[in-house]
Order: sequence, then structure tokens, then C-alpha cells
Amino acid sequence: MKKYLFLLLPFFFLFTGCIDEKEYENTQNGNFEALWKIIDEHYCFFDYKAKVYGLDWDEVHERYAKMVNPSMSELQLFEVLGNMLAELKDGHVNIYAGFDVARNWSWHENYPSNFSDTLLTKYLGTDYHIASGLYYRVLDDNVGYIRCATFSNDFGSGNLDYVISYLAQCNGLIIDIRNNSGGLISSAEKLAARFTNENILVGYLQHKTGKGHSDFSSMEEQWLKPAKGIRWQKPVIVLTNRQVFSAANEFVKYMKCCPQVTVVGDKTGGGAGMPFSSELPNGWSIRFSACPMYDKNKESTEFGIDPNYKVNLSDIDFLKGKDTIIEYARKLINK
Amino acid sequence: MTMNHKIFLTFLFLLPFSVLTTAAQDDKIITNAKMIGIGNTNILDTYLSPEKYNGTEFRYISHTLREKRNSHLYREIIQQGNISYANNRSENGGEMAGTYNFQYGWHWQFISDEKFTVGVGGNIDANLGFIYNTRNSNNPAQARAYLNITPVIEAAYRFHIKNGLHTLRYEISAPILGVMFSPNYGQSYYEIFSKGNYDHNVVPTWVGNAPSLRQMLTFDFSLWKTTFRIGYLGDYQQAKVNNLKNHIYTNAIVFGVVKKFSLIKLRP
Repeated sequence: MKKYLFLLLPFFFLFTGCIDEKEYENTQNGNFEALWKIIDEHYCFFDYKAKVYGLDWDEVHERYAKMVNPSMSELQLFEVLGNMLAELKDGHVNIYAGFDVARNWSWHENYPSNFSDTLLTKYLGTDYHIASGLYYRVLDDNVGYIRCATFSNDFGSGNLDYVISYLAQCNGLIIDIRNNSGGLISSAEKLAARFTNENILVGYLQHKTGKGHSDFSSMEEQWLKPAKGIRWQKPVIVLTNRQVFSAANEFVKYMKCCPQVTVVGDKTGGGAGMPFSSELPNGWSIRFSACPMYDKNKESTEFGIDPNYKVNLSDIDFLKGKDTIIEYARKLINK
Repeated sequence: MTMNHKIFLTFLFLLPFSVLTTAAQDDKIITNAKMIGIGNTNILDTYLSPEKYNGTEFRYISHTLREKRNSHLYREIIQQGNISYANNRSENGGEMAGTYNFQYGWHWQFISDEKFTVGVGGNIDANLGFIYNTRNSNNPAQARAYLNITPVIEAAYRFHIKNGLHTLRYEISAPILGVMFSPNYGQSYYEIFSKGNYDHNVVPTWVGNAPSLRQMLTFDFSLWKTTFRIGYLGDYQQAKVNNLKNHIYTNAIVFGVVKKFSLIKLRP
């Protein structure tokens, strides 16, 4: 009989048990606890924000749990949960419900916009060119101007070759990414790769390896490799404001490492955590920063990158139909 | 026709039978069942969501046994593919999952009589698949790739009802060792595939961190000179690696056709 004992081997499965995850009840308290736990186990900036402004996620739980009760409405719950996430001061953290999006946009709402559509139209005119979402033209003092409003488009190498070839005779180039709130990091890399002739270290990447607030992988180097197509060899000015966020923030980080690049305008909005998605028992979607990114000095860019020259739009210039930041960049190029 | 001619012709006539009799020593018997299945599936992958998704799975299974007459050693070859669609409990999000499974193994029939046979063996068990979450942005999908060494036990009981031969068959398998691809806990696919930053992405598995099991109970019956197979399939794949939990539990009804071939070597 002993020789047949091995037949019981598959039944060992029954003793090792099921691999399962606790599901919170779809109640007001259940959704609150589920949200707090998702962020507690996955959010990547707890340690950093504890240092910067004293964020204590356990204390946040204690404070907000008192505001949740079974009789509150869906809208009231949404407001409490949204306010709880706003404690993270992170533009990549949201709740998406059918009726609203909870967000904290203080990273740009509390600052001057430093951008005007009216002024932009005066510089672009109507006869500008468009390639893969990039608006470009030559300004009247022979300065190339590219308006890059988003990195949501996947730039083709042919698109970028056309743009750079067209502007090649210019004395310098302005890349205006004000109000660019991100998109694909790969697109930011592709554009930045046109401004270096050699591999350059531009920063570091990390990811979480466990549920603890300090469970991270080692920092992996981010290298920017020169594009194989046409590369720009003259001065470049990147224009920024507080709405430059996420992949656009990464673009500024890359460009600051490239030769002949100067950043002009306001500090960027930040957003240095690659976001992941999750969900609550009631079906609301969650977005949160999951993978932190750092600059080449291993400093977080979560709260933005300072420009080389801080310039604000002036009201006087606005009344004259001049964009102070573009004009400053033109002076730098033509100096 | 002389007596010698008659003896010669009789010899020629009987020759093939003698060869067949000799060849029968190592006849190959191939039993192949092609089945389709439909059932309920329960999907959890904490890389995508802490919520479990429930839905319907469709499956195709090709199950082959290659035996030799008068030998206890035989081979099992299984190919199966499944596709499923499942919803979260609030019914506002979906997950699609699909897996291709290939198994190849050698088995030993250690109980063998006319009515009852029991065999054991080990399979190489390769799996390739995906789970796609329809609402996630930077983590929309999870690749599933794992290779296992999987012990298998199977038992068959043959019996007659009226003049028909029927077979009741049960097979259970559970992997004991393997390797599995997995991103690390909070690692993005961008980091793995665009940057080439690998971090424990090929993980050893064993019964403790990937206790999985497949079982199938089938009943073969003959109708219109064809053998049909109907049965129940339970497939419970689960793992906890890199602090990520996943499971796909499937309970399905399977139905198909069984064909039995005998390959006979004819020597000149």
C-alpha cells in the first residue's frame, strides 16, 4: 500500500489552499477601506512626501475614517474620498466615477498660468505647419518655433526629420511645451533624442517591490540615446509653465541634460510617478503614482523642475500683444 | 493446379497474417479526444485589480494517448486553448483572458486489467497567455508564461451497458516545480521591455507559491458508430510571486469525439 502513497501528491493542493485577495464589501466603509489600502500598498511617494510636508498616511486614515458612515450618499462619499486623496498632493492621483473626476490640480491652479492662447495665435498665425501634432514655423527673426501641446501622439522619425529639416536654417529653436500635461514617455524621449549626439545619463527609475512604503528596487539608470535621424545642433530654448506635467516634465528633465538647451519660463508642475490603475468595489477607477522617476542627481522631480531663467508673462507685454516668455527666448537666441 | 501450387498459394495468402501477428507485438494505439468546453471562470490578478472578475470561458482540448500494445509505458499529449471574458462585481469593467497550454509526458500504467487501469506519469506543462483589463491605463495587461513539471494520475474504468462499451475516466494533475514570468510588484512593462530593466521577472514556482490543479472526469459512450465524450473539467491555476497574487479558476462542461487508431507496421 505504501508504494501508492505518491498518488496522494496532487491532493497536497487541497492543503496548500487558495490564493485569494480580500474583497471589501461594496458599502461606504468598504470602499473607503479598499481605497486607503490600495494607496497604502502601491503609492510610491510616501517617504518622500513625509520628508517634504509631513504626510502621514495612517493619520490620514484616522482622520477621514470618522467622516464615512453607511448613510452617506454616493456624492458625499466621493467628496470624502477625493479629499483624502488630495492629501497626497499628486496630479497623477484620481478617482474616476461616472459623474465626476476627483483630482488635486493645485500644482498649477495655485500659480499664474504663464500662457495665453490669444498670444500664441499671434505668433503662430494661420500658415503654420503640422506634423504628428507638432505645430511649427519660422518666426520673423529667423528663430524656429515648435508648439508641442501634448506627448499623446507617437512621433514618427519621419515627422521629426521633416520638422527639423524645415527649421534647419534658423539661428535657434524654441520648443514651447507650456500647458503640455504629458502623454507617452516614449514620445518625450524621441523628441529629446534629437538634441544629443551621444548617450547621456538623464535620470533614474525605480519600482515598488512590496507593500511597504519603503519597498523599492534599486535605482536603474535612464539613458538618452541620440536619434538615428536628423539631429539639431544649434541653441534650443524650452518654454515651461506650471502645467508642464508627467511625460512633459520628463521631457524637461531630459532636455536639461542636453547641450545647448536652456529652459525658460516657470517651474514645471512635476508628476514624477508613472501612474497605475486600480478600482474600488463600487466600480470607481483609481489612478495613482506607482513608479518614481528621478533626475540625474537622484533628486525627485515630483514637485517640478526649475527653469534656467524664471520668466513670467507680464500684463504690459500682454496688452502689447507680446508673449514675454517667447520674447525672452528670442533674445537669448539672437544675443 | 498441382498440390505444390495449392500449398504455395495458401502460404502467400497466410503470409500477411503472419506478419500482422508479428507486427502486433509493437502496435501503436493512439486514442485522441477532441473536445470543446464552456464554463464559468473566476479571474484575479492583483497587478491589474484587487477585484475578482467572473465570466464565461470557451475552451478547446485535444487529448491524446499514444500507447504500445504489451507495454505499460505510454505518452500523453494535451493541447488546449481557452478564451474568456469576465466582469467585475459592479459590472462596469471587463477582463479578457486567454491561454494556450501544451503538455507532453510519459506515463506508466501500473494497474492494468480489462476493466480498470491506473496510470501515473509526469508532463512538461507549458502555458502562454494574457489577461487584458479594459479600463486600466499604464497597467492594462498581464502576460502569463509559465513552464511546469506536472505529475499526472489517471484512472479508467470500462464497463458494458447492454451491448455498448463505456468508459469512465478521471485525470488529475498538479505541478510541483516550474518557472514563471512575472513583473515585479509595482514594475511597469515599459521598464521591462522598453528599458530592459529586469527584476526577478523569471520566478521559480513550486507547490507552495503556485498550488495549481487540473482535473477532468469524463464518460465515453458510443452512438451511431462514434464514440462521444462528455465530462467535467476543473482547472485551477494560481500563483503568488513577487507579492502579486493571481488565479484563474474554471469549471466547465466538456463535450467531444474520441477516435482510436491502431498503427501497424507491415514488413515486406
